[in-house]
Amino acid sequence: MDARRRRVMKEIADCKNDKSSNIRIDMIDDSPFHLNGSFPGPEDTPYQGGHFEVDIVIPPTYPFQPVKMKFITKVYHPNVSSASGAICLDILKDAWSPVLTLKSTLISLQSLLCSPEPNDPQDAEVAKHFTTSKGSFDDTARYWTQIYAVDPSARGKSSEKLQSAGDEVAMAGLEKAHVDQFEALGFERGKVIDALRRLNYRGANVANITEDRIVEELLK
Amino acid sequence: MDMDAFNDDFKVTSKGKHKSYEIDYESLTQGAVEKLMQADIEHISGIFGVDENTASLLLRYMNWNKERLIEKYMDNAASVTSSAGISPLEPPTSQSQAPIRSSIEAFVCPICFDDSQTKTLCLSCDHTFCASCWIAYATSKIRDDQEMAIRCMAEGCSLVAPDLFVRSILEEDTTTWDRFRELVIRHFVASNPNLKYCPYPSCTHTVSCPSASSKSSLATVVPTVACGASATHKFCFGCPIDGDHRPVICGVAKMWLKKCRDDSETANWIKSNTKECSKCQSTIEKNGGCNHMTCKKCKHEFCWVCMGPWIEHGTAWYSCNRYDEKDGVDARDAQSKSRASLERYLHYYNRWANHEQSAKLSIELYSKTEKKMEEMQITSDLTWIEVQFMKKAVDEVEKCRMTLKWTYAMAYYLDKGNEKELFEDNQRDLERAVEDLSELLESPIEAENIPTLRQKVTDKTVYVQKRNEIVLEDTANGFLEGRWQWNCSVDGFD
Repeated sequence: MDARRRRVMKEIADCKNDKSSNIRIDMIDDSPFHLNGSFPGPEDTPYQGGHFEVDIVIPPTYPFQPVKMKFITKVYHPNVSSASGAICLDILKDAWSPVLTLKSTLISLQSLLCSPEPNDPQDAEVAKHFTTSKGSFDDTARYWTQIYAVDPSARGKSSEKLQSAGDEVAMAGLEKAHVDQFEALGFERGKVIDALRRLNYRGANVANITEDRIVEELLK
Repeated sequence: MDMDAFNDDFKVTSKGKHKSYEIDYESLTQGAVEKLMQADIEHISGIFGVDENTASLLLRYMNWNKERLIEKYMDNAASVTSSAGISPLEPPTSQSQAPIRSSIEAFVCPICFDDSQTKTLCLSCDHTFCASCWIAYATSKIRDDQEMAIRCMAEGCSLVAPDLFVRSILEEDTTTWDRFRELVIRHFVASNPNLKYCPYPSCTHTVSCPSASSKSSLATVVPTVACGASATHKFCFGCPIDGDHRPVICGVAKMWLKKCRDDSETANWIKSNTKECSKCQSTIEKNGGCNHMTCKKCKHEFCWVCMGPWIEHGTAWYSCNRYDEKDGVDARDAQSKSRASLERYLHYYNRWANHEQSAKLSIELYSKTEKKMEEMQITSDLTWIEVQFMKKAVDEVEKCRMTLKWTYAMAYYLDKGNEKELFEDNQRDLERAVEDLSELLESPIEAENIPTLRQKVTDKTVYVQKRNEIVLEDTANGFLEGRWQWNCSVDGFD
């Protein structure tokens, strides 16, 4: 058995035996080189209560080159792309060391959720939201956790309500009143949400953006 | 006729004379560069009293800047040594894995989880891993990451493996070891302003050209160099242009290339598809509709055909017969002025592009001719040498077209005046000579006319060569004397 396979199999087994870390690594199909990792959202963060899944690809040169990881679960976080799930984390790039394991890397991802690095963002829009109005950012991140990361059975009946139309606004971290205001001018709702999100029309930032500027953006 | 006599036909100036458009440089093989590097290493090793492996790591850490290394090392040797990854930040603690070497049975490599490995290795930090992991790791770092600092595999450990260690783990893989040495040499070359690596793919030669190492020197010389591996490995020591951009200096060449990239396609399109508003000079594309134009910007209304104000057209829709109206003439004048700068650019650009294209075409033509001449050599009693004169001529034409090409970039930026006129006279003479020779090369080749054609081509080649020398020499002298005046600000000139 080659060294890479032995190592990955052992890592998977070790992770299974370790109940305390709450981290799971499962095989997709029968190959140990394409895995699915998951961990609970850290407590006292907007991600609490969520269950986050990560797509893991083991490159042929593993463990001498870093493992490839991206979020499957949508996450609202400055260092995670809100569209693709791509992750910006040093140990997945230059700071990788062959002694790091899948488990330790997943733990690092978990702690990345606790301490975002908005100065080295993966998703610029989300990072802007984070730096300008932390409170509003937390609301949105919590909302995304509820929508995407909470097990549907645990969420129960509330799920239907959450996914109704009005939630697009909350998902973008915007105020319903603001969206209604511009929709009333005759713009399509989706367009208004896009424009307001691009301009980061949130929290204290609202005072800095004139209505004309928004209309201009909407007319683009 | 022997080969020497043949070559004499083309000889213009005596060899060994240093021409003003040439620069002194030296081509070094990888071995020669390694010797230079070794001298630095031995120097540092002698001063600090450390072994050569350590001296080499210290120098790499300081980007081969000996003076700064000596200064820093004298100031605080311990801090430099640890930042360079030579000694651990803290000495290894007693509870580390050090004794594992003696009880190999108990050792499980923390990377491959294999307990059957009998050979283990560690750096002075005592982080022990099995030999096969070290080999795989170093190979992956060198081959995939092009990395020459092979750090300890333990997380957060910044120790760098010395060359002796790398050598020992790559004992059986000489290709990777050679690649490692090449990476170190490349780092040495990149850190030294007097040296430049040959940019041609897989070439390992280095050129040393101290007289072009400073930025200010590039305002007066064009450091065209070629490495020792092949005469076709010609490149500029001062800028990233592959090839010969004489006679223009790097700053001007760079400016021109940038302008061409930004402008050419767009400029041609603008020229053929748009006009400027006769009032505010905004560029307008007419994409349909009638000739009654209203400028989006200044709301000026005018006729697309004659460019005069629409007001004079009254109700004469679609039929513009007012060409001689004064306002129309004025409007066209204003427009032609703003077009003039574009026209000027295109004048130079078209000639620049044409020479490049023509050079390519003459090479194509030659490959056809060559075939024919070789056939003739078989069918007639001509010797090989007698059918080779075309090659020399085509090479010369190509060389001169490259010179001509760049003279257009130069002329575009030269300020009007006597100097520019003289420059353009030289340019014209060379151009005319090159065109004549080019035409000769295209004349039909028959066995009977070969001797006369050969004479003509040879004479013309010598003349063209002379004209080229004149252009190169005069331009280079102009730079040295500070004779050239530019019509815009150029890097390195005040």
